[in-house]
Amino acid sequence: MSATTENRSLGRLPTREALLQKRRGWFFGMSGDQFVKYLFQGNATISIIVLGLITFTIFRDAVGFIPMNHASLAVYRLAGLEYVDIYREQLTTHSTMSRYLASVRAQKLDQLMNKEGLAPAAAMATLAEFDDFANRFADTINEQETLLGSMTDLVTAVKERQTVSEDIMVGKQYLLRAMAGATPERAAELQRAADVLTVEVIDFKAEFQRVLALRPEIAAANTSQVAALKALMAGAPKFADSDLQRRMEKFQGFVQGYCQEVEVTAQKMAAWDQSKPIGWLESFNAFAFGRKWVTASFWQDWYGIIPLLSGSLLIAFLALLIALPLGVAAAVYVNQVARPVEQKIIKPYIEFISAIPSVVLGFFGIAMLGETLRRVSQIPALDWVPGFPMAERLNPTTAACLLALMAIPTIFSLAEDAINNVPRSFKEASFALGATRLQTIIHIIVPAALSGIMAAILLGFGRVIGETMVVLLCAGNRIQTPDLTSGLGVIFQPVHTMTGIIAQEMGEVVRNSIHYRALFMVGVVLFLISLLINWLAQKIVRRYRISIG
Amino acid sequence: MVTASAMSAPSPSVQSLLRPVVSVGSVNGAPTPLAPQIAIEIDDVDFCYGASKALHDITLNIAARQVTAFIGPSGCGKSTLLRCLNRMNDLIDGARVTDGQIRIDGVNIYDPRVDVIELRKRVGMVFQKSNPFPKSIYDNITYGLRIQGESNKARLDEVVEKSLRGAALWDEIKDRLHESALGMSGGQQQRLCIARAIAVEPEIILMDEPCSALDPIATAKVEELIHDLKKQFTIVIVTHNMQQAARVSDRTAFFYLGKLIEYAETKVIFMQPANAQTEAYVSGRFG
Repeated sequence: MSATTENRSLGRLPTREALLQKRRGWFFGMSGDQFVKYLFQGNATISIIVLGLITFTIFRDAVGFIPMNHASLAVYRLAGLEYVDIYREQLTTHSTMSRYLASVRAQKLDQLMNKEGLAPAAAMATLAEFDDFANRFADTINEQETLLGSMTDLVTAVKERQTVSEDIMVGKQYLLRAMAGATPERAAELQRAADVLTVEVIDFKAEFQRVLALRPEIAAANTSQVAALKALMAGAPKFADSDLQRRMEKFQGFVQGYCQEVEVTAQKMAAWDQSKPIGWLESFNAFAFGRKWVTASFWQDWYGIIPLLSGSLLIAFLALLIALPLGVAAAVYVNQVARPVEQKIIKPYIEFISAIPSVVLGFFGIAMLGETLRRVSQIPALDWVPGFPMAERLNPTTAACLLALMAIPTIFSLAEDAINNVPRSFKEASFALGATRLQTIIHIIVPAALSGIMAAILLGFGRVIGETMVVLLCAGNRIQTPDLTSGLGVIFQPVHTMTGIIAQEMGEVVRNSIHYRALFMVGVVLFLISLLINWLAQKIVRRYRISIG
Repeated sequence: MVTASAMSAPSPSVQSLLRPVVSVGSVNGAPTPLAPQIAIEIDDVDFCYGASKALHDITLNIAARQVTAFIGPSGCGKSTLLRCLNRMNDLIDGARVTDGQIRIDGVNIYDPRVDVIELRKRVGMVFQKSNPFPKSIYDNITYGLRIQGESNKARLDEVVEKSLRGAALWDEIKDRLHESALGMSGGQQQRLCIARAIAVEPEIILMDEPCSALDPIATAKVEELIHDLKKQFTIVIVTHNMQQAARVSDRTAFFYLGKLIEYAETKVIFMQPANAQTEAYVSGRFG
C-alpha cells in the first residue's frame, strides 16, 4: 500500500504495470537491441560471404589451369616441339663452349695489352692464330644450326595450324551455342556461318614424318662434326701462361664431354615417343616444380613457379633475418629496460613505420638505397664480401632491407605484447634470487614469451611474403631461379616474386587464357602460404596462453 | 610500551632469546664471521612512492634466527618495509628511501657502493602468490645457482635434494623433478618457491603473505616449514592472518598508516599490548 502511494508520488507506474509494459519495436517490429544485433550479424555474414566468394573465385579460376596446361603440353609433344628441344640442348652446349673460348680470348687480350703493354693492333695480330681456331670451332656447328632451323620451322608450322584450328573450333562453338535462343532466320544464318568454318583435324603423325625424314642428315652432321672437332683439338693453340693453359685444357675436356653428349642426344631423340600421353601429374608438376616461367613465346610457354617461389622465399627470409633481431631487441628494450619517457617515444615511432605507404618505400629503395648499396659494394676494400661488387642496383637485398622495415612494426608490436604478458612475478622472483637484468631477460622473460615471439616472427614473415609494391619496384624483376651454387652472392642477383608477377602481368593477360589461369595458380600458392602461416601462428599463441595458465 | 627505539639496545629478555650464530650462509664452504645477533637494523626510515609518503620514521631491529612478523591493516606499509629489506622496491619507478638507513651486518644497504645483486643473494624472498618459473622443478631450484655460474651437475643435484628436503617437499616430488613446476598444487608451488629461495643459501628470508593464496592444510605445512627454517635462517614474514602471526612468529611488529605502532615479543603483542590501537587490531575490533 505504502509502496504504491510512494510510486505514485514519484510519478512512476505501479510495479505490476511497469513489468508488463514491454514496448513494441520501433523498426519493423524490432526493438533497438534487436535491430543492433541484426545489423552486426548482417555485417559479419556479409564479410564471411564475400571472403568465401573471393576464395571460391580464385580457386575456380586457378583450377582451370591444370587441364589447359595439360592440353598445351600435349600439343608440345604431338607437334614435335619436345623432340626439337632435345636437339636444341645440344646446340646450346656448343654455344656455351664458344662463349668460354671468347672469355679465354678476352683474358689473353687483357694480358697482352695491360701486362705486356702491346698496342691494340699488335695484340690483335698476336691473337690471329687463336681467332682462327675459335672461328673454325664455331663453324663446326653450322650444319646443325641449319638442321635445327628447318626442324623448328616444320614443327612451329604444325603448332600454328593447331592453334588456328582450335580458335576456329571455339568460334564455331560460339555460333552454334547462339543458335539456341535465336529466331529461325537468324538460326539459319548462324548455321551457314558455322558451316563455312572448317576445323582442320591435324594428323600429327603424318606431319611429323617430315621431321623424321631429317634423321639421316642429323646423323651425318653429327659424325662429320665429331670428326672435325677431333681434328681441331689436335691442333689446339697452346699458351705459355699456366692459368690460360689450364683453362684451355678445361676447354678440351668440355669438347670431349660434348662429343659424348652428341651420342646421348641422338639416343634420346631415337627413343622419344610422339604418341606417349601426357599424365595429369606431369602437367601439374610442370607448374609446381617447373624452373621456367616463359610467357607469350612463339615457341612454347612455360609456367613453372619455382623461380617465383624461390625469389619470394629468398627475399622473405633475408628480410626476416634483418627484421628479427631489430624487432625483438627493440621489443625487449622497450618493455624491460626503457624508462617510461623512452617508451612513450619509441613505441609510437616504431609503430609509425607501418604507416608509410609501401610505394613510397619502394621509391626510396630505387632512388636511394639501391644506389647507396651499390656504391658501398664498389669500395675496393669490401671485395671480400661475397657478391661484391653488385652487378645490379635492384636486387633481393635492396628489397629485403625495405621489407624488413615494414616487418619490424609487426614483429615489434606482437613481441612486445608477448613480453608484456609474462607475469611480473617471474621477473620479481628472478631478481629476488640475485639475477641481473640481463640474466632475467635471457633466462626468464624471453623463454616465457618465446611462443608469442615465434608467432610474431611468423606473422612478420606473412607480412613480408605478401608484400607487393616494394618487391615489384626493388627486387630487379628478372625471372630466374636464384643460383645457389654461386654461394652468398645469390642475395645480389635480381629475382622476381610471386606477388610481383601477379601485379605485373595480370593487367595484360587475356581473360581465361592459360596465362591468366597460371597467375591465379600463383595467387592460390600465395594464399595457401599465408593461410599456413596464420594457422601456425594461432596454434603457437594458443599453446602459449595455456602454458602461462 | 616497548617501542622500536628501545630495541636498539636489546633488553635482557630479548638477549636471552638470541642464541649464538655459528655459520649462516657460507661462501665456498668457508664459514662467514659470526653474524650479529641483530640481523637487520632499520633506523629511522622514511619511504616514498613518488610524492606520497608510505613509511614514517620506522625504527626496529630484527633478531637473527627468529621469525619476525609484520602485521597491520591493508596499506599500512608492512609489505613496503619488507620489500625495502632486499631493495625490491628499486623495480618501481619513483619509489625510494628518503631518509634513514637499513643496515645488514653494519652496512647500509642503500649505500651507493652496495651491490644489489649480492644483497639479494643474501636476502631471499618468497612472494604472496607462488611464482615458479615455467620450467621444470629441477630448473626452478637450480636457477639461482646457475645464474651465479654453477654448472657442476653433482653439486646442483645435491642442492636440489637439500633444498627440497629443507622445504619438506622432497618425498612428494622426488620422482618428477624434471616435470613442469606449473603442474604442482598451489601449496607445493609455494613450498617450491621457498626451496628455490633457500637453494642460494641466503641469510635472511623475506616472506610476503606466503599463505594468503593457500588452503588451510597447505598453510599448516608452510607454517611448520617456517618453524623448521628459523633454526637456520632469519625470517621476516608479512601476514594478514593474526593467528598465523601468533603461531609462527617470535616477535611481532604492528603497523598502522605507515607508522610502527608497537613492536614486541609476539606473546606480549597478543596478550598485553601496550597500545590501544594494537589491542583493537589484534582483538579484531578494526582492520
